[in-house]
Amino acid sequence: MTQHEDLTAAEEQGLSAFMQRLQASTLDRAPRMPNADVLVLKAQLIRKWEAQRRIRRPIELMEPFEIFATAAAAVLLLFWSVPSAFDWVERLMF
Amino acid sequence: MLTEHAFGEFYQRHARAVWTYVYRSTNNAADADDIVQEAFLRLFQTDLLPSDEEGLRRYVFRIAGNLMTDRWRKRTREERHGAALSEQSSVSPRDLDVARTFAELKPRDRALLWLAYVEGGSHADIAESLRLGRDSVKVMLSRARLRLRDLLKARGLIEGKLE
Repeated sequence: MTQHEDLTAAEEQGLSAFMQRLQASTLDRAPRMPNADVLVLKAQLIRKWEAQRRIRRPIELMEPFEIFATAAAAVLLLFWSVPSAFDWVERLMF
Repeated sequence: MLTEHAFGEFYQRHARAVWTYVYRSTNNAADADDIVQEAFLRLFQTDLLPSDEEGLRRYVFRIAGNLMTDRWRKRTREERHGAALSEQSSVSPRDLDVARTFAELKPRDRALLWLAYVEGGSHADIAESLRLGRDSVKVMLSRARLRLRDLLKARGLIEGKLE
């Protein structure tokens, strides 16, 4: 830390001493964190999910287009096949 | 990317220091647990990392700082100052007094002072850690020091009385 002009040397020393004492002071609560193995496992799971999400993303993106294309194909098929179906029914009946 | 073994060792060595920094800055132990866990998870998932231990340490402090900044932005002022230090017999009254004095500062001031005095970070390191401009760090750190000085003076804890 560089000496700061708006603090006197004694004040600067006091601040440093205070921060040192704060660093050395006992914590009123210990950290509650998983051990490294659990964290690694968690990270691997997240990595796996991310990879799966990346793989699924193009499929999910294309889904609306697929639905639209299927619906359009169904309409066209119906449009083309209905007249011939009527012809076929007529031939069958008469 | 770190190997599992390297990550495990690095975590063992530095998790507590990062936790203490986050805890002293947020004044909330549960937040510190979450933030530190998230910071180390992100570290483990990052592809391009500094190759040296000190660089990695600075990197994880930076992630933790960024996560704290995100939380501060989300929360209201009341929530920020809401958590109080618990009364526990394991902590000496003197330590509790020191912690309480520090807790009176704003969270960002606490983070700035911790990074500057305890971690010995440069203005550039602090700026990156807390997503601030370098010039802003100079000004904000200067103000934080003045606020801490005033607080210590008001409590009669400055000018040799700490020793």
